[in-house]
This record gives sequence, C-alpha cells and structure tokens, in this order.
Amino acid sequence: MTLAANAPRSAPVVEPGVTMRSLSEEVSGRLLSARPPLWWWVGFGWAVALLLVLIVAVTNLFVTGIGIWGVNIPVAWGLAIAEYVWWIALASGGTIVSALFHVTRSPWRSATNRIAETMLLSAAACAGIMPILHLGRPGLFYWLFPYSTVMGVWPQVRSPLWWDFVCLLCYILMSIMYYYVGLVPDVATVRDLAQTRSKKVFYGVLAMGWRGSARHWRKHKTVYAIMSAIMAPMVISVHSVVGLDFAGGLTPGWHSTQFPPYFFFGAVISGTALVVMLTILVRWGYSLQDVITDYHLNALAKLVLVGSVMLGYAYLFEAWGPIYGSSAADKTEFASRIFGFTARAYWGKIALNILIPQLLWLPAIRRSKAALFLICAGIIVGMWLERYIIVVSSLHRNHMPSYWGVYYPTAWDWSILAGSIGLFLTMFFTLLRIVPIVAMSEVREIIDKGEPP
Amino acid sequence: MSKGEPLGVVGVFASSQPMVEAARQLHALGVEAVEAYTPYPVEAFGEHVRASRPSALPWIMAAGALVGAFCGYFIQYWDEWINYPLNVGGRPYNSWPAFTVGAFEVTLLFAVAAGFFGLWFACRLPRLYDPRLEAEVFDRASTDRFVLRVEAGASNVPREKIRRVFEQHGAEQIVEVAA
Repeated sequence: MTLAANAPRSAPVVEPGVTMRSLSEEVSGRLLSARPPLWWWVGFGWAVALLLVLIVAVTNLFVTGIGIWGVNIPVAWGLAIAEYVWWIALASGGTIVSALFHVTRSPWRSATNRIAETMLLSAAACAGIMPILHLGRPGLFYWLFPYSTVMGVWPQVRSPLWWDFVCLLCYILMSIMYYYVGLVPDVATVRDLAQTRSKKVFYGVLAMGWRGSARHWRKHKTVYAIMSAIMAPMVISVHSVVGLDFAGGLTPGWHSTQFPPYFFFGAVISGTALVVMLTILVRWGYSLQDVITDYHLNALAKLVLVGSVMLGYAYLFEAWGPIYGSSAADKTEFASRIFGFTARAYWGKIALNILIPQLLWLPAIRRSKAALFLICAGIIVGMWLERYIIVVSSLHRNHMPSYWGVYYPTAWDWSILAGSIGLFLTMFFTLLRIVPIVAMSEVREIIDKGEPP
Repeated sequence: MSKGEPLGVVGVFASSQPMVEAARQLHALGVEAVEAYTPYPVEAFGEHVRASRPSALPWIMAAGALVGAFCGYFIQYWDEWINYPLNVGGRPYNSWPAFTVGAFEVTLLFAVAAGFFGLWFACRLPRLYDPRLEAEVFDRASTDRFVLRVEAGASNVPREKIRRVFEQHGAEQIVEVAA
C-alpha cells in the first residue's frame, strides 16, 4: 500500500503548487540560512531563560536536599513524579503519532512525524531527569543498573520502579535510533543543497553517505516499517509500566487493572495535543502551510478527540470502582478527590480534558487554528492536573486516618516545572535549527504520484 | 565496448514513471546492472526491474529480538537466583511473571538495535566518499530527480543503444561517467 493510494479525495494532503524541488528547498532552507528568523530567537531566548531557572533549582536541590520541596510524609511524591508522568506521556504521544500511523500508512503522518519525534526526544529528556531529581540522593541513581559493584549489591528487579527504569532507558535509546533511521535520507537532501563548507561537512557526516539508491531504499523501508511496528507496542508498554509504578502499591485509588490503559489513554490525548500545538507553531513560523495543510490538523484534532473520549471512559471507570466497591478507604479517598483537597484540580481536569475537547466534534472548531491551539493547551494543563491528582490525592488519604496529610508545592517545586519546560523548549528549538522538520522523502512520494507521468 | 576507459551511462528523469519504464526496457534488452537513485523509495522499480531477493534484515531483527529476550531474562534470573538471592514477600527467586517486563523491553531494544546497525551494515554505510557517484547529476537524486545508472561493461548492449532508450523515455540529461 502506498501513501498516495491512501490519500483522501476531500482535501489536499499537499497543496498542488508544491513540487519536490520547492519542498526540498523550503525545508532545507530553514537549516541552511545563516540567520534564524526573529521568532526563533524570541522563543529560544525564553527557553534558555527558563532553562537557567532549572539549573538554579537543580543546583539548590542538589546542595540543600529535597527538603526545599513541599513533599513530606504522607505525600512523599510531589510534583517531580507528577511531572515525570506528564512528560513521559507527552513523549509517548509523539511515538504514537509517528510509529502507529506509519504502520497504518496514514498520509497525514508524513508531514507531521518529524515534529512529533523531535518533540518526543525533547520531552523524554525532561521525563528522564525527574525521577533522578526526586531520588533525594541523585548521585546514586546508577545503582539501578544491574552491574557488579564492589559492594555486591544488586537491584531488586521485581519492582515496577525497576521495570520503569528499564522501560525508560530502552525507550529513549530506541527512539533515538528510530529518529535517526527516518532522518538519514532527509539529511542527505540538506547535504546536497548545502552551499557552505561547514554545513556540507556537518550534514555529510550526519547523512553517512546516503545516496538514495534503490537497493538502500528497499532495506531502509523494510527496517523502518518493522521498527515502527515495534515502537507502537513499545510505547504502550512504557506507559503501562509507568501506571504500574503507582498500581504496584496498595494505596487507595491506584488501581492495578485500571491504571495501565488509563495512563496510555492519557498519553494519546496529551501527546497528540502537544503535537498539534507544535505543528501549528512550526507551520506558522516556517510558513509550511502548503505542506502541513488543514487536512493534517483536522486528522490530528480527530485523534485528540478520540483520546478525549478514551480518557472519559477511564475517568468513568476511576469513579465506578470506589462507588461500586465496598472499600471504605477507596470511598474516602475518592470523596476527597472530587469534593475535598483536590476538588478544584479534579473538576478542572474534567473540564479541560473531557468537556471542552468535545467541541472538536464541530468541523468549524477543527478548522480554526486558534480554537484548536487553545483546546490543546487546555488539555496539556488538564493532563498536568490529572497527574497531580493521581500522585497527591491518593497519598493524602491513605488507609489510616492517622496517616492523612496535605501537600503544598513550594516555589522550588514550581521552578522545577518551569525549568523542565525550559529544557524541553531549548532542545526543541535547537533541533528545529539542525534537523529537517518535515520528512521530505515521504512527502515527495505523495507529490510525485500527484503528477502525470 | 568502445576504446579507452569504460564508461557507465547515466540518465536523469524528472519523474519516477518514465524512469521505471526505461529501466524495464533496459532489463528486457538484457542490461542487468541498472541501479536507480531516487528521492523517495520507488516501489515499482524494485518490483518490475530486479528479481527481488527477500532481505535478510527482518531475520536479523528477529535474531536480535531472541538474543534480547535471552539476555533480558537471564540477567534478572542470574541476579535474583544465583548472584544475589533476595526473598521479597516470599516470592520465588525465579519470579518469571515479574521478570517478563524487563525481558520484554530488552527484547524490543535488541530487535531495533539489530535493525539499526544491520541496516547500515547491509547498505555499507557510512561511506562518505564513493567515486562512482562523484558526477554532479547524482546530487539531484536526493532532491527531485530520478537517476538511472547503467554500469560499464555490465552487458554487451552498446552504450548508444542505452542512450537511445533513455532518450525515448524523455531523459532530461544523459551523461557518461567513469566506471
């Protein structure tokens, strides 16, 4: 099945005026121009400013210790864990858009997958630092590796926390390989269009001498397809294991049957929502309206809607357990979740993740970039609230009333959040200047088939 | 064969369809050593021109998966039963249900890594300099041109005939390159 055969008749995947030449020059030109546009400097400047916040916050954390945060017994997991889940969900969404829809050969995937994958790598880095910051003794994180220490101590591998470490490590390594395999043919295009010596050498080395011979393409296609088919279940397993990090305990509300799919649904909606936001911004900033058309955003918006409906099901199930079951602890915790300490966050997430995204049923809303952007930004906030509730609500109403407490994030908690956004944006803006942001070789397939022979 | 250095013939096409047609005709004439350089994978070229031998890469990835499954499981088994036996809630030392998760992730990692390194090995990359592809016409194969290259001395078909096939199918440019 070819991409062109799957292309819809209703809307153009690529505007008719785009040729293979104009596409290549347009996308490569962003990397080959000596000076980035003004919006890039503005965005990058903000990103680096926030990154400095992270550096200060982490330095203080390492020097002073975890007491600078609001976490304490009983709420010993705070924003760092909530944000770990949040970031890894955003990363997973990038893989879902890229890998799952490569397997289905969806034509809208070709112009947006590079944005999704770039987002995924940037978000995975933010996710990766969170558990380490949270450790309290971050210098000892390498004890998770099963390697022969002089102390003869080995990790306890029956714990979901260890599974999660393996998952995250494998996921990041696999994502980098998947990214690079998809990137090589496009980097070769940039190399052949480069004018200056330094760019020729840089992209030449990165492209490794890719010349697009039919023999190579066939192998590339085979491996890339299998990789996509592996990445899709991989990302489901990663996020399920993140859910098991919680569900492995006996805390009320952390339901071991419900959590793995619940977390995955959250990844679908939040990751796709961030892809939509970045796609709208990149499309505007790089004037890629003729390659990333309304068709792409319409498809992505529908995916967000699907995620919202799936997540609605998970929220229903989340409520159904305590209401139907007979566990007093579950009932108490759930009552506090929706009417008590986290009530505002709870109803906020219901509104932002479930109610407002239902507007996407209307085609007019899906067509409006501003509405789409705002709805997706709301989802990102709503998903952050959801992670916050999962972590805090269950811990603050544990089984024993003598073990109840509350959690208020301190300014240092918030600065880690702000700083991790800075790390994400710094990586994304940097990659925006280095990698071709549209998978040109895949879009060419759609363009060439559109021409009469 | 003409005198002097053996020359290969290269035709540059603006679209994939005529390139595939030209390659098909050359194939019918008995010219076997035809290679295409294209800006995207042209499936029709492989299907019609070359008797495609299935690639070994899927099997290499499957082998990687098997090795990963074994390594991923074994390190946990060895750790928890042989090396550092730890009683966790009375579970058996070889708690295979708990070990499957780690083993699964390592399985997938090894499969992808086998594909990643296997791909570059099978393509003989990195190869930063290839004298056979030095001619400028190949540079546009990564942008918007479909380039067919017939190796020198690959068949008894004279170069003029190859040129004529290229011309018939509307090649924009026909050049002769060394080797």
